[in-house]
Amino acid sequence: MSQEKLLEVKNLKQYFKTGRHSIVKAVDGITFDIKKGETFGLVGESGCGKSTTGRTIIRLYDATDGEVLFNGEDVHNKKSKTDLKKFNRKMQMIFQDPYASLNPRMTVKEIISEGLDIHGLVKDDKERTARVRELLETVGLNKEHANRYPHEFSGGQRQRIGIARALAVEPEFIIADEPISALDVSIQAQVVNLMKELQKEHGLTYLFIAHDLSMVKYISDRIGVMYFGKMVELAGSDELYKNPIHPYTKSLLSAIPLPDPDYERSRKRIAYDPATHDTSEEPEFREIRPDHWVLCTTKEFEQYKADLENK
Amino acid sequence: MEKILEVKDLKVTFDTYGGSVQAVRGVNFDLRKGETLAIVGESGSGKSVTTKALMGLIPNPPGRIESGEILFDGKDLTKLKDKEMSKIRGRDISMIFQDPMTSLNPTMKVGNQIMEGLIKHQKMGKAKAKERAIELLELVGIPNPKERIEQYPHQFSGGMRQRVVIAIALACNPKILLADEPTTALDVTIQAQILELMKDLQQKTDASIIFITHDLGVVANVADRVAVMYAGKIVEIGTVDDIFYNPKHPYTWGLLGSMPTLDSGEDQLIAIPGTPPDLIHPPVGDAFAPRNPYVMKIDTEMEPPMFKVSDTHYAATWLLHEDAPKVEPPAAVKRRMQGFAKTGELAEEFIEKGDES
Repeated sequence: MSQEKLLEVKNLKQYFKTGRHSIVKAVDGITFDIKKGETFGLVGESGCGKSTTGRTIIRLYDATDGEVLFNGEDVHNKKSKTDLKKFNRKMQMIFQDPYASLNPRMTVKEIISEGLDIHGLVKDDKERTARVRELLETVGLNKEHANRYPHEFSGGQRQRIGIARALAVEPEFIIADEPISALDVSIQAQVVNLMKELQKEHGLTYLFIAHDLSMVKYISDRIGVMYFGKMVELAGSDELYKNPIHPYTKSLLSAIPLPDPDYERSRKRIAYDPATHDTSEEPEFREIRPDHWVLCTTKEFEQYKADLENK
Repeated sequence: MEKILEVKDLKVTFDTYGGSVQAVRGVNFDLRKGETLAIVGESGSGKSVTTKALMGLIPNPPGRIESGEILFDGKDLTKLKDKEMSKIRGRDISMIFQDPMTSLNPTMKVGNQIMEGLIKHQKMGKAKAKERAIELLELVGIPNPKERIEQYPHQFSGGMRQRVVIAIALACNPKILLADEPTTALDVTIQAQILELMKDLQQKTDASIIFITHDLGVVANVADRVAVMYAGKIVEIGTVDDIFYNPKHPYTWGLLGSMPTLDSGEDQLIAIPGTPPDLIHPPVGDAFAPRNPYVMKIDTEMEPPMFKVSDTHYAATWLLHEDAPKVEPPAAVKRRMQGFAKTGELAEEFIEKGDES
């Protein structure tokens, strides 16, 4: 993992109008960056804005405010078609529901090769077939699968097709929005292992969005915790689990049930009460330790720091 | 402990155009008073069908209970007529469904949905049933129950809706509660609340719970005993400690190995290769054989019986036969078992913090 930034998100905001006078601030000013070759995990409860963040980064939504820089270029200001096309090739997405994200009327070959054709990566059908077969093998499917339809596959296999489709255009960056939460436990491990292998082979960078904290811990190098549209804590994955600072992170970690009966018998859940925060000023995202950021006020910052030292 | 329910050699089949799907292929277990039995397994392993059979909710056609007995209260539930079954359902045995978004009637006030069972089974008057409904909502931790019973499901959040579903299930003080993935659709923090609530209510009512889930973390949290299902059969059953600290079946090893723990330094998860078998044509011999890294010749020829590991612990794998080679669980699974001690330390940390707050 290099220190070079691949993606920079600066003060990103995404508001949705829900009525004439009400707006939902799904993402409310978050800032982070993703380094080349790393896996950045984004966790939080449903409705915290983690999926919206992913979808805004890849321009499925137009950002309300803020900047997204990919390789130093502003993604959301691109206007011309050719610029957009170039960008779309570099950033791909894997979706949550492998049943809804594949067109049931298209064969696997058509699904995977759509991107190849749009970006003119293959000259003729022979080349197209060869490339599709190669991709199918990369994700652990057979070349015979190319002419079948999505309904003929199991959930895990469909997710592999989704991954093959994302890989087809040779992207640098993949946003995986809850890629395994619809799959069975044993199949989840297969897909996660596949994603890890592909990352090694192709030097991919991932934004991994999930609510399953133990899986996120396993796959991510760094993790951002979101709560109500704000990022409340960001740290390396080991550091975050060892030294959670923000009360919400603590509460979230204490809620994960682990496959260990002894641990479960003694686990105590910590409830999060937003009312305990210091409200004397607007909280800011501050670096409490190298590469460990927390959303807090000046007062809280001092207190968190003291807590960390006394540990 | 006193047995409250006995399931003997239960077989359930669904007739489809492609052939008969043998969803449950001979399941045996019993449920004791006041205990929580967790049934784990992948989708399609027959865990939901088993509980639906207990409730008499197998749609016929296409489904039918081919053979077997479900003994409850001296009666075989498989032999009961619809009318008799509907007296038991909701009163003695009730169910919490997976998705609180779809298991409530959107056009009925929450209060009326809770009162329905009370009026039908306990012959309560309306006013009394309403009182009880308010009590129940209070019991499951919903604030302002008096106002809340006049509201509709869409005015509740997911976690609150699941509390309502639990209140409905508890309304008639059932002896057995079937919970089919009751927390799968919920966030971890809400899941933790619901699990705590269920454990708390179980202590108060002494009900027995059958808890279906595929999340082994949840199993470790709620279960007294665990049954692991694969391809329509129970392949391993034992106390929660038997299953997590001394698993014997290679499928259980696979399940445990495929879940990450919070320890650092894991390089790879052990995925179970392949996919579950087609239950229209179940394989000859051990159904897990094609995915089993320790497969032996006999696995493809004969189905393994339940071998006894201890008084509480049984597993169906030929590896436990005295003539079988002694195999150890994969190193990563073993390390995980030892690694669990480490997460124990993590637990202490949380206990300390828990006391502070």
